[in-house]
Amino acid sequence: MIEFNDVTKIYGGDVKAIDDISMTVEDGEFVILLGPSGCGKTTLLRMVNQLESISQGDIKIQGQNVREMDKIKMRRNTGYVIQSNGLFPNMTIEDNTMIVPDLLGWDRKKKKDRFNYLMDLVGLNPDDYRKRFPHELSGGQQQRVGVARAMAADPPVMLMDEPFGALDPIIREKVQDEFLAIQKEVKKTILFVSHDIDEAVRMGDKIALLRDGKVQQFDRPSELLIRPNNDFVSDFVGKDRVLRSMSLYSVEDLVTTFGLKNKEDTITDTKEISIDTSLRIAISMLLNQEADQLVIVDRQGQAKGSLTFDLIEKFLHQEVKGA
Amino acid sequence: MNAKKVTSYVIRLILWTLVIAFFFWAISENMFGKIFEEPGKFMELLGRHLELVSISAGLAILTSVPLGILITRPSFRRSEWLIVNIANLGQTIPSLAVLALAMGFLGIGLKAAIVALYIYSLLPILQNTIAGLDSVRPEMKDAAKGMGLTPAQVLFKIELPAAASSIIAGIRTAVVLNIGTAALAYLIGGGGLGVWIFTGIQLFDNQTLISGAVPVTLLAVLVDLLFRGIEYLLVPKGIRLARKSAMESV
Amino acid sequence: MTDFLNYVQREWGTIFSYTLEHLQLVGIAIVIAILIGVPLGIYLTTNKYLAETILQVASIIITIPSIALFGIMIPVLSMIGQGIGFLPALIALVLYSQLPIIRNTYTAIQNVDPNIRDAAKGIGMTTFQRLTKVEIPNALPLIMAGVRTATVLNIGIGAIAAFIGSGGLGVLINSGISRGNSNMVLAGAVFVSLLALVADFILKFIQARITPKGIK
Ligand SMILES: Nc1ncnc2c1ncn2[C@@H]1O[C@H](COP(=O)(O)OP(=O)(O)O)[C@@H](O)[C@H]1O
Ligand SMILES: [Mg+2]
Repeated sequence: MIEFNDVTKIYGGDVKAIDDISMTVEDGEFVILLGPSGCGKTTLLRMVNQLESISQGDIKIQGQNVREMDKIKMRRNTGYVIQSNGLFPNMTIEDNTMIVPDLLGWDRKKKKDRFNYLMDLVGLNPDDYRKRFPHELSGGQQQRVGVARAMAADPPVMLMDEPFGALDPIIREKVQDEFLAIQKEVKKTILFVSHDIDEAVRMGDKIALLRDGKVQQFDRPSELLIRPNNDFVSDFVGKDRVLRSMSLYSVEDLVTTFGLKNKEDTITDTKEISIDTSLRIAISMLLNQEADQLVIVDRQGQAKGSLTFDLIEKFLHQEVKGA
Repeated sequence: MNAKKVTSYVIRLILWTLVIAFFFWAISENMFGKIFEEPGKFMELLGRHLELVSISAGLAILTSVPLGILITRPSFRRSEWLIVNIANLGQTIPSLAVLALAMGFLGIGLKAAIVALYIYSLLPILQNTIAGLDSVRPEMKDAAKGMGLTPAQVLFKIELPAAASSIIAGIRTAVVLNIGTAALAYLIGGGGLGVWIFTGIQLFDNQTLISGAVPVTLLAVLVDLLFRGIEYLLVPKGIRLARKSAMESV
Repeated sequence: MTDFLNYVQREWGTIFSYTLEHLQLVGIAIVIAILIGVPLGIYLTTNKYLAETILQVASIIITIPSIALFGIMIPVLSMIGQGIGFLPALIALVLYSQLPIIRNTYTAIQNVDPNIRDAAKGIGMTTFQRLTKVEIPNALPLIMAGVRTATVLNIGIGAIAAFIGSGGLGVLINSGISRGNSNMVLAGAVFVSLLALVADFILKFIQARITPKGIK
C-alpha cells in the first residue's frame, strides 16, 4: 500500500509542482498517474522512491514513511522503469536484469533461475538473450528487459514512468497486453505514469488524473469516462468517452445488470457471442452481422438470451445516467 | 575489387614504399651507426627517456582521473565549466614554453623536466575524463540510482565503463605528446634521447641525429598503437556496439 | 619579475620582429595546409577506403615528435641543400596541420544533413553548386575549428623549429638557454604562449561568427 498524505513539492523555492495531494494505492492495485505534460506526474512518482525530496506531507509504503527509510535499501526493494529504459550499454542482458539481485548478494544459481523465470515471463528466450547487449535488441525487446529488470528482486511496489512511451503504437499495444498478463500473475502494487488516455483506460485499475500538481479525479477508468468530475476531466478524456467506455464493459456486465436467465429456445441462424466479449466488440459485431441480434453464451456454452442494440442502449442509460 | 579500393591500396603501397626506402637509405648510409657503436649509451638515454615519460605521465594519470571524477560529481557541477575552460586554454600553451617556464622556476635538471612533463600531461587527461563522464546519459544514472545503486556503484558500474574509452584516449594523447616533449627535456638538462637529436643538429652529425630521432619516432608511434589496442580491449563490448549503432543512425 | 619586465621593455623591438617572423612561418604553413587539406577532405568524402588510409597516415604523422621529424628531415633535405632553415620547418608544419584540417573537413561534409542535400538536389542544383552553395557553407564552422587546432599546434611547433634555424620566438628560448639568460627564455615562453592564446581566441571568434544561427 502506498499512501500520499498532503504531499506537496516545491522546486527552487517557487515552482509548485505537486500541490497537496492525498490518495491511497491499495496492495496489488494498478494505478495510472495521468495528465498533460508538466502536470507533475513524474515528480509525484519520483518522490515515492526519494529521487525527489518531499517538500511537505508524507508518503508511506506499507505504513512506513519513505523519508525515514534507508534510501538505498528502499530503492532496491522498489521496481523502477523509465521511458528510455535506462538499460546499461556496458552490461549484458543478464547482468542488466540481475543488477539488483547482484547488489543484494544473491548466489549464482538463484540469479540464473530468476533470470530464466523473468525472461519467460516477458516472453523472451533466456538463452537467446543472456549474453547479448542492449544495443542488439529492438526497442520493444529492450523495454521488456527493462520491465524484467525492475521485477528482478520481486519488489512489491513498481514505479513506472511512461515505460512504453517510446514504442511505436502497434508494438506498444502488444507490450501493454503482455504487461497486463504479467500483472495478473504477479499482482504488484503499481504506480504508472502516462499521458495517454487510451493506455490509462486499457491498463489501470484506477486512474489519478492530474492538472497543475492537483488530482482532478481518482477513480476507476469507467467512472472517469462516464462520470467526469469537472470540465477538465471530460475534456481530457475526450468527446468519444462514452464509446471508449464500451471497451471497459463486457457482455457479462450486461447479463448481470439485467439478470438474464438461461434460455433454451435458441434462435437458429444467429451468431453467438461469448459473455467475455467487450461491449465495444459486441457493437461492431452487431454492425457487421446483418442480423439485429446475437446469442449470448456463457463459458459453458449455455445460451443466456439475445443481445440487441436496444439492450446495449438500455444498459448504457442505466450506467451513464449521471453523465 | 572496385576502383576506389584500388586507389586506396596504391596510395598505401606508395607510402609504405617510401618508409621502407627511407630505412634502406638510412641503413646503407650507416645512419643508425651510433646505436651500434655505443649501445650502452643508447640504452641509458632510452631508459632515461622512458623514466621521464612514465613518472610524469603516471603521476598525471593519478592526478587527473580522480580530479575529473571529483569535478563531475553533482556538488562540484558549478565549477565544472571553469575547469573545462582552463583545461582548454591551458592546452594551447606550447610544450616548449612549458619546459622553458619550468626551467625559469625550477632551474635545470631532471626534477624540472619531470614537473614540466607532468603539468603538460595533466590537461588532456583531465579534459577527456570530464568529457567521458559527461557523455553518460542522465537517464542512465537516474535509472541506476532509482534501482538502489549507491553513488560509488553508479560511478564504478555505470559511469566509468561508459567513459573508459574517452579516458584512455586522453591518456594516449598525453603519453604520446609526452614522449615528444621529453625529447626536448635535454634543453633543461633532463636527458633522454633528445640528447642525441640536439647534439646531432648542433654538430651537423647525421648519424647521431638519426640514431636519436628515429627511435623517438618509433617509440611514439608504437605507444600510440599500444594504447589504441588497450582502448579496444578495455572498452566493454556493449559500449562499442552502442557507439557503432549511434554512428550508423547519424 | 621587474627584471623580466625591464628586459621586455628593453628588447621590445627584437621580440616584436621575432613574433612577426613566427607569424609569417605559421601563416604561410596554414594557408598551404588549407589549400591541400580542404580539397582533399572534400574529395575523400567520395572514397571511404582512401579516406581511411589518408586519415590513418595523417594520425600517424601527428604522433611523430616534432623535434624528431625535424631531425629526420635534415639529412633527407640536405640532399637538396635545404636541411635546415625555413623550408623544413614549413614542410613539417604543413604535415602536422593535415590531420585536424582533413579530418574536420571530411567529417563536416559528411555530416551535412542528408535532408538539406536532398533538398538541394531536388531544386536542381548541380554537384558543384551543391558543394559551394550548400555543403561548404554548412561545413565551414567545423572546418574552421580544424584550422584553429592546426594554427595553435603550429605556433607551438614553430617555436621548436627555431632549433633548425627557422627563426621566430623559439630563437629567444634557444639562445636564452645557451647564453644562460633566463629573462630571454621567459620572454620566449611568455610571448609564444600569448601568441597561441590570442590566435585561439581570434579564430574561435571567427568560428562563432561564421556559424549560422540555426546550427548554434
Ligand atoms: N528539477 C526541477 N527543477 C525545477 N522545476 C522542475 C524540475 N523538475 C520538474 N520541474 C517542473 O515541475 C513541473 C512538473 O514536472 P514533471 O513532474 O516532470 O511533469 P510531467 O511528468 O507530468 O510531465 C513542471 O512545471 C516542471 O517544469
Ligand atoms: Mg514526465
